[in-house]
Amino acid sequence: MEYFIHLAILVGIYAILALSLNLAVGYTGILSVTHAAFFGIGAYATAILMTRYSVNFFFAIIVGAVVTGVISLLIGRVLSKFRGDYVALGAVGFNMIVWSIFLNWQELTRGPLGIPGIHRPELSIGNMEYSFTSNISFLLLTSVFLLLVYLVCRHITESSFGRALKAIREDEEALAVFGYRTLYYKLAVFVVGAMLASVAGALFASYITFIDPSTFMVSESIFILSSIILGGLASNKGAIIGAVVLILLPEFLRFVGFPSDIAAQTRQAVYGLMLILLMLYRPQGLVGEYKL
Amino acid sequence: MDIVPQLIANSIIAGSIYTILALGFNLSFSTGKFIDMGYGVMMVIGGYAVFYLSKILGLPLPVGILLGLVISGLVSYLAYTVVYKPLRARKASGAVLLIASLGVLTALQAVIAILFTSQFQTLSGLLSGNRVFEIFGGAITAVQLTTLALGIFLFVILAVILKYTMCGKAVTAISDDEEVSKIVGINTEKIIGSVFFISGVIGGLGGMLIGFDTGIEPIMGLPWLLSAVTAVIIGGIGNVYGSIAGGFLLAFAENFGIWQIPGEWKSAITFGILILFLLFRPRGLFPK
Repeated sequence: MEYFIHLAILVGIYAILALSLNLAVGYTGILSVTHAAFFGIGAYATAILMTRYSVNFFFAIIVGAVVTGVISLLIGRVLSKFRGDYVALGAVGFNMIVWSIFLNWQELTRGPLGIPGIHRPELSIGNMEYSFTSNISFLLLTSVFLLLVYLVCRHITESSFGRALKAIREDEEALAVFGYRTLYYKLAVFVVGAMLASVAGALFASYITFIDPSTFMVSESIFILSSIILGGLASNKGAIIGAVVLILLPEFLRFVGFPSDIAAQTRQAVYGLMLILLMLYRPQGLVGEYKL
Repeated sequence: MDIVPQLIANSIIAGSIYTILALGFNLSFSTGKFIDMGYGVMMVIGGYAVFYLSKILGLPLPVGILLGLVISGLVSYLAYTVVYKPLRARKASGAVLLIASLGVLTALQAVIAILFTSQFQTLSGLLSGNRVFEIFGGAITAVQLTTLALGIFLFVILAVILKYTMCGKAVTAISDDEEVSKIVGINTEKIIGSVFFISGVIGGLGGMLIGFDTGIEPIMGLPWLLSAVTAVIIGGIGNVYGSIAGGFLLAFAENFGIWQIPGEWKSAITFGILILFLLFRPRGLFPK
C-alpha cells in the first residue's frame, strides 16, 4: 500500500510538471527543454529556506515561486530573441548552466553532496498544528496542489488569454498585426509555467527530504517533455495522462525482475524509442490537439 | 611555473577535438537542415566500439578503429533512413525532427549503458606508451598531437572534397537549396544519406579520440554535442572554415576562462558563449 501511495505522490508531482510545461510547449509553441531547471530552482529554494533558515514550507514555496519567476523572466526574455529551433538549443544551454550552478555554487547548494534533512510540511492555524509526515497525508497535500495547478492551467487555456496563446502558436506575425503584444503573452505564460514547476520542486524536495543536482539535469527536462508529447500537446488532460503512463510504465519493468541499474537504463531506452515512434506515427500524442 | 604555455597547449588540443566534432555536425546540419541531437550518440558508439572490439575482444587496434568508424557511420546512416528520412519526406517541422533525434540520443545511449554499464572507461591502455612531449613549456601527449594532426587533416580533406569533387559540389548545392538541387538532377536522398554516414564516421572518430585522451561514458554525448554545436554556431553554420575557427575560439575561451575562475565552471562558460552568440550573432562570425 505504501508503495502505491509513493507512486501516486510521484505521479502528482510529475503531473504538475507536465501541466505547467504544456502551457509553454503545447499551447504557445515555445519548445522549452529547460523545465528541470525551474523544477530544481523551486526545490533548492524550498530546501535551503527550510533547512538553513527554518522557514515554514508554505512560505518557502511562495518565495521559491517568486525566485523562479524572476529567473524564468530573464531566461524567457533571452529565449524570445532566438529564431525557430534555436529556442530548444538555447533552452538546453540554460538547463546546463542552472545545473552547473547547483553543482558548483557549493556555499549555497552543497554541490554534489546535496541537501539532506528537509522537513515535511507543517501547518499551524491558531493552536492547531499539523505535520504532513505520513505519506497518505502528503498524498492529500499533493492532490490539493495538483488540483489547484490544474484549475489554474484550465483557466489560462480556456480564457481569451489562452486563445491568444494558441493564435501565437499558429501564426505569431498575424496576431502581432492585430495589435497583440505577442512578446508579453509569451513571457507571461513562460513565467507562469516556470512558477508552477517550482511548486512541484518544493513538493518533491519536501517529500523525498533530500535533493542533489543529478535530479535536475537536461535528461529530466527531456523526460517531462516526453510526458506531454505522449499525452498530447495542448491538452491538460493529456499532460496528466502522459505523466501517469510515464511514471507507472517503468514500475512494470521492475516487476519483470530487471536489476535496478538495468531497469533505469531500460526506462531511458523506452522513453527514447517512444519519442521516435510518436514523432513518426502520432505526433499529436494520445489525446493532443496540436501537432508540432 | 608559467601557466600560459600549458593553457595554450590545452586550448589547441581541445580546439582540435571541437573542430573534428564540429565538422561532422556542420555537414549533417547544413544538408539535413535540422539540429541532429543524435549526432552526440555517434561519438559514444565510436568510443565504445573500439572499447569492445580491441579491449574486450582483443582485436588489433587499427582493426578496432576501422570497424568502429564503419559502425558509427552505419548507425548514423540507419538513424537517417529509418527515422529522419520519412519525417523529412512528409515535410515535418524542425521541432519534430529535433525531438525524434533526442529520442535517438536517449535510446541508443541507454542501450550502450545496458551493454557496457554506465561506468567511465578509458581506452588509453590500448596504446603502447603515450609519450609526453614538451613544446614551449607546455606538455602534450602523443594522442593529443595525433588529434591535432587528424583535425587539420580532416579539415583539409573536407574542404577539398566539398570544393573540387562532384559529390562535394552536390552537398554544397543541397545545403544552398534542396529543391533546386533535386530539379537539376541531383539524387538528394542518396547524397544526404551518405552525408549522414560520413558525419557519423567523423563523430565516431571524435569519440575515440576523447576515449584515448581521457575516457568514455554513455552520457558523454550530450555535453560534447553541445560544445560541437556551439563551435558550429560561433563559426557560422554550413561553413567548413567556420568549424575550425569556432572550435579553436571556443577552446581558447574555455581554457583561458578557467584560468581566472575555478575549473568546474567550464561548461557554464561554454553554454554562456552559446547563448551570447545565439543572441547577438546567430549566423556566426563567418556567415555563409
